Amino acid sequence: MKRIVIDPSKCDGCKNCELACMESHRTDGGTGVETLNFNLPETQARNEIVNDGKGGYLPMFCRHCSVPGCANSCMSGALKKDTETGHVTYDEKRCGACFMCVMNCPYGIPKPDAAGTKILKCDFCNERPEGPACVLACPKQAIRAEEVQ
Amino acid sequence: MAEIYVIVGAGAAGIAAAERIRLYKKDVTIIMMSIDEYSHSRCMLHKYLGGERTAEELSFVEPDFFEKNNIFWGKEQKALGLDIQNRQIRMENGYQPYDKLLIATGSVFGIPPINNFRTASNVYGFRDLSDARKIDAAVKAKNAKHVFIVGSGLVGLDVAVGLMERGVKVTIAEMAPRVMPLQTDDTAAKAYQERFEAEGARFLLGIGASDSIVNDQNEITGVVLSTGETIECDFVICAAGVRPNIEWLKDSGLAMERGITVDGYMRTSAPDVYAAGDVTGLSGVWPNAMDMGRVAAANMCGVEAEYTDRYCMKNTSNFYGLQMLTIGDINAQIEGADIYVKESRNCYKKAIVKDGVLKAILIQGDISHTGHWQYLIKNSVDVSELLKQKDVFDITYGDFYGMDDLAEYQYAL
Repeated sequence: MKRIVIDPSKCDGCKNCELACMESHRTDGGTGVETLNFNLPETQARNEIVNDGKGGYLPMFCRHCSVPGCANSCMSGALKKDTETGHVTYDEKRCGACFMCVMNCPYGIPKPDAAGTKILKCDFCNERPEGPACVLACPKQAIRAEEVQ
Repeated sequence: MAEIYVIVGAGAAGIAAAERIRLYKKDVTIIMMSIDEYSHSRCMLHKYLGGERTAEELSFVEPDFFEKNNIFWGKEQKALGLDIQNRQIRMENGYQPYDKLLIATGSVFGIPPINNFRTASNVYGFRDLSDARKIDAAVKAKNAKHVFIVGSGLVGLDVAVGLMERGVKVTIAEMAPRVMPLQTDDTAAKAYQERFEAEGARFLLGIGASDSIVNDQNEITGVVLSTGETIECDFVICAAGVRPNIEWLKDSGLAMERGITVDGYMRTSAPDVYAAGDVTGLSGVWPNAMDMGRVAAANMCGVEAEYTDRYCMKNTSNFYGLQMLTIGDINAQIEGADIYVKESRNCYKKAIVKDGVLKAILIQGDISHTGHWQYLIKNSVDVSELLKQKDVFDITYGDFYGMDDLAEYQYAL
C-alpha cells in the first residue's frame, strides 16, 4: 500500500501541507490557496504540523494503520480498511458522529468537524493519480507517498 | 463436507468475527443467527427512533455483506439452548449443528424491581431494533405525550433524544446526583443537563421510583417517586443497566459467572465453543466487542491470538452539539492524587494524576486530538517529567512521537 512516509528532520514547519489539504478538500468551489476563506469553520486541514518545542517540527498525518484503531472502533461502518488500497476510507453519509474513532486513534488524528456532525480524516485525496495534495506541496520532501509492505 | 462455523448474534462481536473467519477460511460454511431482522448498530437506535434513519440505515455493514462473504444469515432466529455433547444449538424449529461455535449474544436490559415494572405491558428497554420498534409503535398507538425513563446513562439519554425529536416529553429519573454519572463529574453533567432541559427534558436526580400505578389494561399510567410525587406517563423505558444475555444457556453446563467465562483466547469451558462481546461480561463498549470477535475468530481458525487490550472504562458522547470524552473513573477518590481542572469558554477539562501517572481524564467541548489519553491511561505511562515542563492538558502524542520501519506511528517511551 501507499503511505505518506515522514522525515521529521526535513520539516521546516512551513505548513504548506496544511494549506494544500484545505484546498484539496474545499467545497466552496474556489481554487487557489490565496482564495481560501479562513473564516469558514469548514476550512480545516486533516493534517497538522506540531512544534516539538526543541526547534523542530512533527508532521501529524494519518498512517492508514495496518491495525486501524479508528476503523476498529467504528459503530456505523463509516470507517473501513480498504483491502485493495490499504487505506482507511470514510463514508460520511454512514457516520453516526459518535466519535469513538477520535478516542480510539492512539495518535489523535481523526477529529470532529466544526459542526460536530462528522469527522475529518485523510482520504489520500481520493486516490487521485498525482498523489495527495500535501505531498505535492511539501518543498522539502519531508513527506513522500511511498509504497510500503 | 465443509466445516460449519456458527455465530449466534450479529452485533459488533459477531459481525467482526464473521468477517475475520471468512478472511482466514475461504471454504468453511459460516452461519449467523440473530433475533433481529437487520444487523444493526445499537449505538444508532436513537436515530431510528427519532426518524433520522431507517432500519436499513442502522446497518454497520454493506448491504451485500452476507452475500459477499458467503455467510448464511438466519434472521429472526432465536437460539434457545446449547447442547455441548452433540455439538448443536437448539432453535425454535429444530437443531443447528456446529463444528465451531461463537456465542456473541450481547446483553439484555434489566428491569428494576419496582412494583408492576416487570409485569406491566408497557415497560420497554432500548437495546435492540425490536425494542426501538416497540417504542415507536407505542408512541404512535398512544399518541404518546409523556414517557418516563429510568436511568440517565448513555442509553437513557439516547432514547430521550429520540423521543424528544418526535415531540414526546420525557422525565428521566437518575439515582445518582448527576446525569450520565459514570462518564461525568458535576460540572460536565450540568452542561448536558442544561442542554437536555432546554429541549424540554425533566430530570429527577438522586430520586428513585418507588411504586407505580397501573390501569385495567395492565399499563403503567404513573410512576410514584421516593419523594411521594407521582409522574404521569404513557409508558416506561428502563435504561438502568444491562447484563450478559446468558439466560438461554443456563442448562448447557457452560461455565458462567456474570457472563460466559472465557480465557484470553475467548475459549469457553466447552470444546470449540467461543464467546465474545458483552456476553462475556468483560466490557460493554463497541471497540472491545469487535476486538474480542476478531480474537475469537482467529483462534477458531487455528491462528493464535490473545485478547490483551482490555481497557474498557472509556466513552465518547455527542449530545446537542456538546462532545465529551471520558477515560477512567473521573470521580475516583484516590489518596495523594492531583486533580487538574481547566475551564475555558467552550471547553472543560479535568485530569486525575497519581505519582506522575494519569488515572482519568474528561474533556468536554472540543475533543480533537484526544486519542492519546486512552493510550497513556491504559498503559500507565509515566508523565512526571512532562508535567515539570508543561500543563497536563498540553501533553499530546507529539511528546511520544516515534515511527517504525513502515512509517507507522508508535510511542517512543
